[in-house]
Amino acid sequence: MTQPEHAAQRPGRPPQGDDPEDRDPGLARERTSLAWTRTAISFAALGGVVLKTNVITGLIIVAIAPLVWELGRMSRIGSPDTNLPAVGATRIRVITASIVAVSLLSLLVALLGPATPGALR
Amino acid sequence: MSWSGLLATLRPRAVAKDEDGTEPDPRFTFANERTFLAWSRTALALVVAGLGIVQLLPPFPGVPIGRHLLGVPLIVLGAVLAVVAYAEWVRNQRALRRGEPLPRSIIPWVLAVTIAGMAVVSAIVLLASALR
Repeated sequence: MTQPEHAAQRPGRPPQGDDPEDRDPGLARERTSLAWTRTAISFAALGGVVLKTNVITGLIIVAIAPLVWELGRMSRIGSPDTNLPAVGATRIRVITASIVAVSLLSLLVALLGPATPGALR
Repeated sequence: MSWSGLLATLRPRAVAKDEDGTEPDPRFTFANERTFLAWSRTALALVVAGLGIVQLLPPFPGVPIGRHLLGVPLIVLGAVLAVVAYAEWVRNQRALRRGEPLPRSIIPWVLAVTIAGMAVVSAIVLLASALR
Protein backbone atom coordinates (compact mmCIF):
# COMPACT_ATOMS: atom_id res chain seq x y z
CA MET A 1 0.00 0.00 0.00
CA THR A 2 1.20 3.48 -0.71
CA GLN A 3 0.80 6.59 1.36
CA PRO A 4 -2.73 7.16 2.66
CA GLU A 5 -5.12 8.80 0.32
CA HIS A 6 -6.41 11.29 2.86
CA ALA A 7 -3.77 13.74 1.71
CA ALA A 8 -5.38 13.82 -1.72
CA GLN A 9 -8.78 14.79 -0.34
CA ARG A 10 -10.09 18.22 -1.11
CA PRO A 11 -12.64 20.22 0.84
CA GLY A 12 -16.13 19.70 -0.51
CA ARG A 13 -15.29 16.41 -2.19
CA PRO A 14 -16.75 13.19 -0.81
CA PRO A 15 -14.31 10.95 1.05
CA GLN A 16 -12.67 8.26 -1.05
CA GLY A 17 -13.41 4.62 -0.30
CA ASP A 18 -15.82 2.94 2.05
CA ASP A 19 -13.28 2.01 4.68
CA PRO A 20 -13.38 4.52 7.58
CA GLU A 21 -9.65 4.03 7.80
CA ASP A 22 -9.30 5.57 4.33
CA ARG A 23 -11.31 8.56 5.39
CA ASP A 24 -9.49 9.02 8.67
CA PRO A 25 -6.12 7.28 9.11
CA GLY A 26 -6.00 8.95 12.50
CA LEU A 27 -8.06 6.06 13.77
CA ALA A 28 -4.96 3.88 13.58
CA ARG A 29 -3.14 6.41 15.70
CA GLU A 30 -6.05 6.37 18.17
CA ARG A 31 -6.02 2.58 18.41
CA THR A 32 -2.28 2.64 18.96
CA SER A 33 -2.65 5.24 21.66
CA LEU A 34 -5.27 3.08 23.37
CA ALA A 35 -2.93 0.09 23.13
CA TRP A 36 -0.28 2.12 24.95
CA THR A 37 -2.82 3.00 27.62
CA ARG A 38 -3.69 -0.67 28.10
CA THR A 39 -0.01 -1.46 28.40
CA ALA A 40 0.39 1.23 31.07
CA ILE A 41 -2.54 -0.25 32.96
CA SER A 42 -0.90 -3.68 32.73
CA PHE A 43 2.22 -2.29 34.36
CA ALA A 44 0.12 -0.75 37.12
CA ALA A 45 -1.68 -4.06 37.67
CA LEU A 46 1.58 -5.96 37.94
CA GLY A 47 2.88 -3.33 40.35
CA GLY A 48 -0.24 -3.80 42.44
CA VAL A 49 0.37 -7.55 42.67
CA VAL A 50 3.99 -7.03 43.66
CA LEU A 51 2.97 -4.37 46.20
CA LYS A 52 1.26 -7.12 48.19
CA THR A 53 4.58 -8.78 48.88
CA ASN A 54 7.28 -6.17 48.35
CA VAL A 55 6.34 -2.53 48.71
CA ILE A 56 9.48 -0.96 47.23
CA THR A 57 9.59 -3.21 44.20
CA GLY A 58 5.87 -2.74 43.71
CA LEU A 59 6.20 1.03 43.82
CA ILE A 60 9.02 0.91 41.26
CA ILE A 61 6.85 -1.09 38.88
CA VAL A 62 3.82 1.14 39.48
CA ALA A 63 6.01 4.16 38.75
CA ILE A 64 6.72 2.75 35.28
CA ALA A 65 3.02 2.98 34.40
CA PRO A 66 2.87 6.80 33.99
CA LEU A 67 6.08 6.67 31.96
CA VAL A 68 4.48 4.17 29.60
CA TRP A 69 1.34 6.29 29.43
CA GLU A 70 3.47 9.32 28.54
CA LEU A 71 5.21 7.35 25.81
CA GLY A 72 1.82 6.38 24.47
CA ARG A 73 0.68 9.98 24.47
CA MET A 74 3.39 10.61 21.90
CA SER A 75 1.46 8.42 19.49
CA ARG A 76 -0.85 11.39 19.12
CA ILE A 77 2.00 13.73 18.24
CA GLY A 78 2.82 13.05 14.61
CA SER A 79 5.61 14.41 12.51
CA PRO A 80 4.12 16.55 9.70
CA ASP A 81 6.40 14.84 7.16
CA THR A 82 5.69 11.22 7.87
CA ASN A 83 2.54 11.33 10.03
CA LEU A 84 4.42 9.03 12.39
CA PRO A 85 5.04 9.49 16.12
CA ALA A 86 7.82 11.91 16.88
CA VAL A 87 9.64 9.26 18.84
CA GLY A 88 9.84 5.87 17.14
CA ALA A 89 11.93 2.91 18.12
CA THR A 90 13.06 4.43 21.42
CA ARG A 91 9.61 3.85 22.84
CA ILE A 92 9.72 0.23 21.79
CA ARG A 93 13.13 -0.20 23.36
CA VAL A 94 12.01 1.46 26.60
CA ILE A 95 9.06 -0.91 26.88
CA THR A 96 11.25 -3.95 26.18
CA ALA A 97 13.83 -2.87 28.75
CA SER A 98 11.09 -2.12 31.29
CA ILE A 99 9.52 -5.55 30.92
CA VAL A 100 12.86 -7.31 31.21
CA ALA A 101 13.69 -5.27 34.33
CA VAL A 102 10.25 -5.91 35.80
CA SER A 103 10.62 -9.63 35.07
CA LEU A 104 13.96 -9.72 36.86
CA LEU A 105 12.54 -7.85 39.85
CA SER A 106 9.57 -10.21 39.93
CA LEU A 107 11.92 -13.17 39.75
CA LEU A 108 13.82 -11.84 42.76
CA VAL A 109 10.59 -11.30 44.65
CA ALA A 110 9.40 -14.79 43.71
CA LEU A 111 12.61 -16.45 44.81
CA LEU A 112 13.53 -14.37 47.83
CA GLY A 113 10.37 -12.61 48.96
CA PRO A 114 8.10 -13.91 51.70
CA ALA A 115 5.13 -15.73 50.24
CA THR A 116 1.60 -15.06 51.44
CA PRO A 117 -0.02 -18.39 50.72
CA GLY A 118 -3.69 -18.53 51.32
CA ALA A 119 -4.31 -15.13 49.85
CA LEU A 120 -6.27 -16.89 47.14
CA ARG A 121 -8.05 -19.27 49.50
CA MET B 1 11.91 20.24 29.88
CA SER B 2 8.73 18.19 29.59
CA TRP B 3 8.64 14.42 29.55
CA SER B 4 7.83 14.52 25.87
CA GLY B 5 10.75 16.81 25.08
CA LEU B 6 13.14 14.76 27.18
CA LEU B 7 12.17 11.51 25.49
CA ALA B 8 12.13 13.12 22.05
CA THR B 9 15.85 13.80 22.44
CA LEU B 10 16.39 10.05 22.60
CA ARG B 11 15.02 9.60 19.08
CA PRO B 12 16.68 6.59 17.50
CA ARG B 13 17.88 6.48 13.94
CA ALA B 14 18.65 2.82 13.34
CA VAL B 15 15.30 1.70 11.94
CA ALA B 16 14.15 5.06 10.62
CA LYS B 17 17.36 5.57 8.66
CA ASP B 18 17.28 2.22 6.93
CA GLU B 19 18.96 3.25 3.68
CA ASP B 20 17.47 0.35 1.73
CA GLY B 21 13.89 1.27 2.42
CA THR B 22 11.31 4.00 2.32
CA GLU B 23 8.80 5.11 4.89
CA PRO B 24 5.84 2.69 4.79
CA ASP B 25 2.21 3.60 5.17
CA PRO B 26 1.82 4.98 8.72
CA ARG B 27 -1.08 2.60 9.30
CA PHE B 28 1.27 -0.36 8.84
CA THR B 29 3.75 1.16 11.24
CA PHE B 30 1.01 1.70 13.81
CA ALA B 31 -0.26 -1.85 13.31
CA ASN B 32 3.25 -3.21 13.85
CA GLU B 33 3.53 -1.14 17.01
CA ARG B 34 0.18 -2.39 18.32
CA THR B 35 1.23 -5.97 17.69
CA PHE B 36 4.38 -5.36 19.70
CA LEU B 37 2.35 -3.82 22.50
CA ALA B 38 -0.04 -6.77 22.51
CA TRP B 39 2.87 -9.16 22.94
CA SER B 40 4.26 -6.90 25.66
CA ARG B 41 1.02 -7.15 27.57
CA THR B 42 1.11 -10.91 27.13
CA ALA B 43 4.62 -10.88 28.60
CA LEU B 44 3.42 -8.82 31.56
CA ALA B 45 0.48 -11.19 32.06
CA LEU B 46 2.90 -14.12 32.18
CA VAL B 47 4.97 -12.32 34.82
CA VAL B 48 1.84 -11.58 36.86
CA ALA B 49 0.72 -15.20 36.58
CA GLY B 50 4.13 -16.51 37.63
CA LEU B 51 4.36 -14.13 40.54
CA GLY B 52 0.83 -14.93 41.62
CA ILE B 53 1.51 -18.68 41.58
CA VAL B 54 4.65 -18.33 43.69
CA GLN B 55 3.40 -15.71 46.10
CA LEU B 56 -0.31 -16.25 46.49
CA LEU B 57 -1.14 -19.92 45.90
CA PRO B 58 -1.15 -22.21 48.91
CA PRO B 59 1.74 -24.73 48.87
CA PHE B 60 1.23 -28.08 47.18
CA PRO B 61 1.30 -30.80 49.87
CA GLY B 62 4.29 -33.07 49.30
CA VAL B 63 5.76 -30.90 46.54
CA PRO B 64 7.60 -28.10 48.35
CA ILE B 65 9.03 -26.57 45.18
CA GLY B 66 5.82 -26.99 43.22
CA ARG B 67 4.88 -23.32 43.15
CA HIS B 68 8.36 -22.27 42.02
CA LEU B 69 8.37 -25.03 39.42
CA LEU B 70 5.26 -23.49 37.89
CA GLY B 71 5.81 -19.80 38.53
CA VAL B 72 9.47 -19.15 37.78
CA PRO B 73 9.37 -20.42 34.15
CA LEU B 74 6.41 -18.15 33.48
CA ILE B 75 8.31 -15.12 34.74
CA VAL B 76 11.36 -16.05 32.66
CA LEU B 77 9.14 -16.59 29.63
CA GLY B 78 7.74 -13.10 30.15
CA ALA B 79 11.22 -11.58 29.89
CA VAL B 80 12.10 -13.71 26.85
CA LEU B 81 8.83 -12.83 25.16
CA ALA B 82 9.48 -9.11 25.55
CA VAL B 83 12.90 -9.39 23.90
CA VAL B 84 11.62 -11.61 21.08
CA ALA B 85 8.71 -9.22 20.51
CA TYR B 86 11.18 -6.37 20.09
CA ALA B 87 13.22 -8.39 17.61
CA GLU B 88 10.05 -9.18 15.68
CA TRP B 89 9.06 -5.53 15.63
CA VAL B 90 12.44 -4.60 14.14
CA ARG B 91 12.23 -7.37 11.51
CA ASN B 92 8.68 -6.44 10.57
CA GLN B 93 9.46 -2.73 10.37
CA ARG B 94 12.46 -3.44 8.15
CA ALA B 95 10.38 -5.66 5.87
CA LEU B 96 7.70 -2.97 5.65
CA ARG B 97 10.27 -0.35 4.74
CA ARG B 98 11.73 -2.53 2.01
CA GLY B 99 8.44 -3.76 0.66
CA GLU B 100 9.38 -7.37 1.39
CA PRO B 101 7.03 -10.09 2.65
CA LEU B 102 6.65 -10.02 6.40
CA PRO B 103 8.80 -12.61 8.15
CA ARG B 104 7.06 -15.47 9.92
CA SER B 105 6.71 -14.89 13.62
CA ILE B 106 8.18 -17.44 16.01
CA ILE B 107 6.46 -16.00 19.07
CA PRO B 108 3.21 -17.99 18.78
CA TRP B 109 5.23 -21.19 18.47
CA VAL B 110 7.38 -20.32 21.51
CA LEU B 111 4.30 -19.41 23.53
CA ALA B 112 2.36 -22.53 22.51
CA VAL B 113 5.22 -24.90 23.30
CA THR B 114 5.91 -23.27 26.64
CA ILE B 115 2.28 -23.20 27.71
CA ALA B 116 1.86 -26.83 26.69
CA GLY B 117 4.97 -27.71 28.68
CA MET B 118 3.67 -25.77 31.67
CA ALA B 119 0.36 -27.63 31.44
CA VAL B 120 2.21 -30.95 31.58
CA VAL B 121 4.32 -29.81 34.54
CA SER B 122 1.19 -28.53 36.30
CA ALA B 123 -0.52 -31.88 35.83
CA ILE B 124 2.53 -33.73 37.20
CA VAL B 125 2.76 -31.42 40.23
CA LEU B 126 -0.95 -31.76 40.96
CA LEU B 127 -0.85 -35.54 40.60
CA ALA B 128 2.23 -35.82 42.79
CA SER B 129 0.55 -33.61 45.36
CA ALA B 130 -2.71 -35.58 45.27
CA LEU B 131 -0.98 -38.95 45.61
CA ARG B 132 0.87 -37.94 48.76
